[in-house]
Amino acid sequence: MKTFEEKWTAWLDGRLSDTELAEFEASLPDKAAAEAEKAEATKLSLLLKRELGAQALLNEEFFNHQIRERIARESGESRNREAEVSPWWTIRRLLWTGTASLAVFLVMAIFVMRDKNPAEQSQYLTQILNARVDPVVSPNATISMFETKEDRVTVLWTEGLQSLPSDYAAK
Amino acid sequence: MARSLLLFVAFALVLSTATELRGAETVWSGLVIAENVEQPQPIPLELTRIEQPLKHLFGYNQFQVIGQSRKALKTGQEDWLATSKFFGLHVNARGESVAGYVLNLKLYKEKELLLETDAKLSRRSPLVIKGPQVGSGQLLLVLVVQ
Repeated sequence: MKTFEEKWTAWLDGRLSDTELAEFEASLPDKAAAEAEKAEATKLSLLLKRELGAQALLNEEFFNHQIRERIARESGESRNREAEVSPWWTIRRLLWTGTASLAVFLVMAIFVMRDKNPAEQSQYLTQILNARVDPVVSPNATISMFETKEDRVTVLWTEGLQSLPSDYAAK
Repeated sequence: MARSLLLFVAFALVLSTATELRGAETVWSGLVIAENVEQPQPIPLELTRIEQPLKHLFGYNQFQVIGQSRKALKTGQEDWLATSKFFGLHVNARGESVAGYVLNLKLYKEKELLLETDAKLSRRSPLVIKGPQVGSGQLLLVLVVQ
């Protein structure tokens, strides 16, 4: 013969047969309160199963876990300290910045030189500043000047100068 | 970075050396008769550099030097004379610039001034002046920085 507590526990666990279940539920003074209590017990049971189901750490693993955590925490702190102490302009960054600045300067210089090139090119060619012929000796003489860019030869071209006999070609 | 500095220093040295060397440059001045002949003589050594433009511009196949002068410029203020029997080219250097020398040139036929010009003679760029017709040829004045 089962006691009431045994039947109550079996009822909560859903282990009563149909006959026992009918008899037990008929014997309950307040079935609604009992159903509510059963629902609470079921909920508690599920919670316990879920929580107790997680694997508990063994001692050895627990200490290992603690040590790893501590190491990670301390190394994180030291990294943070280093980050706070080390300046942003490290030697490496300075070198990179210097090299990059030099490269930019050279590029700009090349562009500027290229822009100036046509004007400066004439400086490297011989320039005729002025020219004149004696108007009495050669009244119809004209003067012009030009440069041959390929050969870099500057020419002062005269026309109408007084022609001379071939004797004047003597050395 | 160190390599860039070295390059910069080398460039500066080359520039300064070039400036010093320019002080010892020589200007060759020549009176040249250009003619067309059946068997042309080889072009004088001083004119080989400009042989093609001379032939192309003036249309002659022979160029003979009838008078010349070679002057080493030290101060850029020198003057000199290149003469032939009848012609004289007086060159008066009036200073030196980055591009070259400022020269005053006077071409004389005996004592008669035929032509006068001022020019800035560049080291890289010869100057050729077309003078009077002489017989079947042409008198040319040539100045080259050597």
